[in-house]
Amino acid sequence: MSKVRFSSKRLLLTLMLCACSVILLQNYDISQNSSFVFNLLCMLCGLAVCFALFVPSIIIKKRTNLDFLTVAHTVTPKLKIPIAVLYSLYFVWAAEFFLLPYTDMFSKKYYSDVTPCLIALILLSACVYAALKGVNVITRFGIFLFVFALLTNILMFGGSTGTLDFELYGFEISGNLNDFIQNTVYFIIPAFIVTLFACLSGKTKNFRLRQPLFALLVTGVKYGLIMFFIWFSLGDYASKQEYQTFILARAARIGFFGGIESLYLALATMSVFMIISLVLCAVTKSAGRESDIKYVVIFAVIIFAAHMCGSYLNSVKEIFTNNYIFAVFTVITAAVIPSMYIFAGRKSNARKALHSINMS
Amino acid sequence: MRARLCIVLICLSAVLFSGCQSSRKIETAQIIENVTISEKEGQTLYTFYILSSADTPLKTEIPAESFEQACELAQNQYIPNITLSKLELLMIEESLIDRVLKTDIEYISTQPSFSPSAFVTLCDRKTLEKFAESTREQDIIEEQLILLKKNNPAVNINYLSVFNHFETKKTSEFLVGTVSFDGELKIGEKKDIKNEK
Amino acid sequence: MNNSLAEILSELKADFSDSADLTIRNLTLKSERQIKAAIVTIEGLCDKEQLSQSVINPLLPYDFKSMKGAEAADIILNSVMASSDVVVIYTKAEIISFITSGFAVIIVDGAQQMFAVGVQGYSFRGVNEPESEVVQRGSREGFSEPLRVNMSLIRRRMKNPDLVFEQMTVGSESKTQLMLCYIKSRVSAKLLGKLKKRLNKCNLDSVLASGYLSEYLEDEKSSRLFSGVGISERPDTVCGKLTEGRIAVIVDGTPAVLIVPRLFVEEFQGVDDYSNRTYYAAFIRLTKYLSFFAALFLPGLYVALAQFHPEYFPTGILIKTSESLAQTPLPVTLETLAITFIYEIMKEAGLRIPKSLGHAVGIVGALVIGESAVNAGIISSSTLMVVATAAICSYVTSPLYPPVTMLRFIFIIIGGLCGLWGIVIATAVMIISMCSKTSLGVPYMSSLAPFSLRTMRDVFVRADWKSLSKHIIKVQRFKETEV
Repeated sequence: MSKVRFSSKRLLLTLMLCACSVILLQNYDISQNSSFVFNLLCMLCGLAVCFALFVPSIIIKKRTNLDFLTVAHTVTPKLKIPIAVLYSLYFVWAAEFFLLPYTDMFSKKYYSDVTPCLIALILLSACVYAALKGVNVITRFGIFLFVFALLTNILMFGGSTGTLDFELYGFEISGNLNDFIQNTVYFIIPAFIVTLFACLSGKTKNFRLRQPLFALLVTGVKYGLIMFFIWFSLGDYASKQEYQTFILARAARIGFFGGIESLYLALATMSVFMIISLVLCAVTKSAGRESDIKYVVIFAVIIFAAHMCGSYLNSVKEIFTNNYIFAVFTVITAAVIPSMYIFAGRKSNARKALHSINMS
Repeated sequence: MRARLCIVLICLSAVLFSGCQSSRKIETAQIIENVTISEKEGQTLYTFYILSSADTPLKTEIPAESFEQACELAQNQYIPNITLSKLELLMIEESLIDRVLKTDIEYISTQPSFSPSAFVTLCDRKTLEKFAESTREQDIIEEQLILLKKNNPAVNINYLSVFNHFETKKTSEFLVGTVSFDGELKIGEKKDIKNEK
Repeated sequence: MNNSLAEILSELKADFSDSADLTIRNLTLKSERQIKAAIVTIEGLCDKEQLSQSVINPLLPYDFKSMKGAEAADIILNSVMASSDVVVIYTKAEIISFITSGFAVIIVDGAQQMFAVGVQGYSFRGVNEPESEVVQRGSREGFSEPLRVNMSLIRRRMKNPDLVFEQMTVGSESKTQLMLCYIKSRVSAKLLGKLKKRLNKCNLDSVLASGYLSEYLEDEKSSRLFSGVGISERPDTVCGKLTEGRIAVIVDGTPAVLIVPRLFVEEFQGVDDYSNRTYYAAFIRLTKYLSFFAALFLPGLYVALAQFHPEYFPTGILIKTSESLAQTPLPVTLETLAITFIYEIMKEAGLRIPKSLGHAVGIVGALVIGESAVNAGIISSSTLMVVATAAICSYVTSPLYPPVTMLRFIFIIIGGLCGLWGIVIATAVMIISMCSKTSLGVPYMSSLAPFSLRTMRDVFVRADWKSLSKHIIKVQRFKETEV
């Protein structure tokens, strides 16, 4: 595994792609009763909360130039195991949060004959390989994925402009408190990248405040565009089917050229692949065994087993894919616990320990 | 090296044993290009036109109450390897508007396999007879529908817009293109469809 | 070493097992002490006429008077020999090394030093244009087998005293000589040290081609699918690489020179790009990239679409393809694999077949496989078209031919088993593998990942020379290089 420090810009680009992929697997998470402008406002609130959740990790990074897990292990070595357990649980949960809808989408939209567990098995095998290579290599892969995502989005949005209809649907604001809570909670989900950043930013250099801000901004733009096109190009048609972004890709046509849902499938697949690879890197780091093949395989097997339970037991699936539970868990791991360490890290013995790690 | 080999073997055996046999092969897939809905002896007849290079269209007529039923019957009894993802044109006889238009469009809107950009048009009986004789008419109809839309943006020519007009609360009537045959194929007459809530 | 001539000669004869090509010309120098001398050569490696003119003819008539062996040796070196290429040697190992390189070794009885005189006269292939790297506007010279000839071709182009040739020997049996060539002011000392360390670890008995050393120069735990060691037979290409801080390894007996480190983007750069107009060079570069993707993905995508997603074909192509595939007995995956494999067999046969029979094989290949098999319905014309297109595209970037061929087979199998989704996963794994690869510590995908805007001027397009000459590219300065 490479030991050199890599650019923080690249890590944030990769995390931005992970955040953008949240809406690719969106399935009735955004309220069907509220209007486009209302949803847009909810999105802005949600992303503002995401940026607020970024603050503790940014402070730790700026102060120590280390990731949160290293700081936690150094400042409170006795809490190493509880922290490891908590974050391992979170990351396994995060993996299921994306894997279950992905395999569900694949099975319902593309190929109903194949069992979702097979998809998960092959995808996890590929993710194990990527996780063993390390975060640096995954962020390099992110550059290619960024170019591909740009191309796919251009084709998807370009192909949907022909069916935009502003007569049927307008820019009114309509929605209630429940819709606001539902939507805002959904738009807090991208904050999982904050936890990833907190755990994986140890080997980055040249971190700037504008990087996470820019990442969330671009994420917001992408969300806004997708919601815009779903609302004005698909209209009520979208509410009849699951996975609206898939439908948007399906409906997009440039002249007589269609088939953009194949690009959507590729983008969704590569995004989930990247997310789970980063999750495996982070979970082994939280267990103190970064890129150790044994631990990567163990956690991949745990994720696979959890996926099998989720596939066959609806109650398990509902727990894993519950936006509220995941959002609360994300807030705790992304902001609450790192905030405690901001104050704990000020103690002189902690400062000394951190300084010696930095020097080495 | 050993770990990589194990992973590759596991994946390969998993793939081989779990379902690649049922792929939709191009040489055996029966791809439906058009569907027409007509009335025959008081019964609704769904005619599925299978994509082929022959000048004479390859078709299967299935009497059914709805598109959903017709698709099920087609798969089970008539066309086992049916593929509807390339459906490009749905033509409905004018006399059946009230009976089938809303329910069939509703059904199509819930199925992932249908393309929402497929064309929908109403037509008269003569057009359907002419359509059954030659496959060249489909291209003519599609080109004319696009031209119609260009000249009058208010006309709805595909599933997406027809469905959305059914669902929206704003309008009670909307326009759909129609095809008629009177010596030659004519497209351009618009019909006011009542949006029944 | 022993000063006695007789003992040295008997040891040499014993080492060479009295080999028939070991030639010893015994001399008695004109002197009061009747000093004995000998000239040792290997038959066929030295130029006898030059030996006579520069060594024997000046040596025989010279009067050494009452000098002893050591004094006579000094006089021979400083005043008698007419050759400009003389190396003083002291050990038996050096004698063996020099006589097997075409030198003539003069041994004087009683003298400690011996002289290796450069009178090489072995036959070698001339400096021809390399067949594997044909250019339109560049030089027509290519490397040859002898080490010294190759060194001279580089030295002629780089009239810079900073150009250094450092000699090493590899192969315990073959004792093959090689030269490390670099520009001292451009190269990284750490990179050079790494390279030398790896060459010293080479424990082969014989190194008969430069390719033997490629695997020793690759980074450990780095993917071996793509090569991190470049090969070139062109002196102008090698000189260009040296200016970027790279190191060339010239192996005696091989015209293929190794260049390290090697990056992915270099596979698409050619000599003609820098001679042609910028817009045309950009067009050719982009064509190469497109050809690479077509060679890699076209058959796999074709199989995946035909097997799992026929609706993605445009209607006209869909009808033709389904009709042609319906007539053949094999499933599309097996058919594509079979045609690709047969093509590889034909390609190998074409390489090794005598030229006189080449025409017949060409006709058999084209008519039998191309026409008859399609007409008989054994293979489909659409599959044949796809495989042929991919094969032609793979020659546009010929250095990448081996990995592209292997990956093409893998993608066909994956496309046939898992469809588009499988190809996406395989592509992701391939990109991860390429991104993790390093060449002497330099990331293999440098310029793309890690991304560097400055070096992108010479990746997809070639910026004009005024722009390119503004910044000196040094390979050790690429981001995240581990030196």
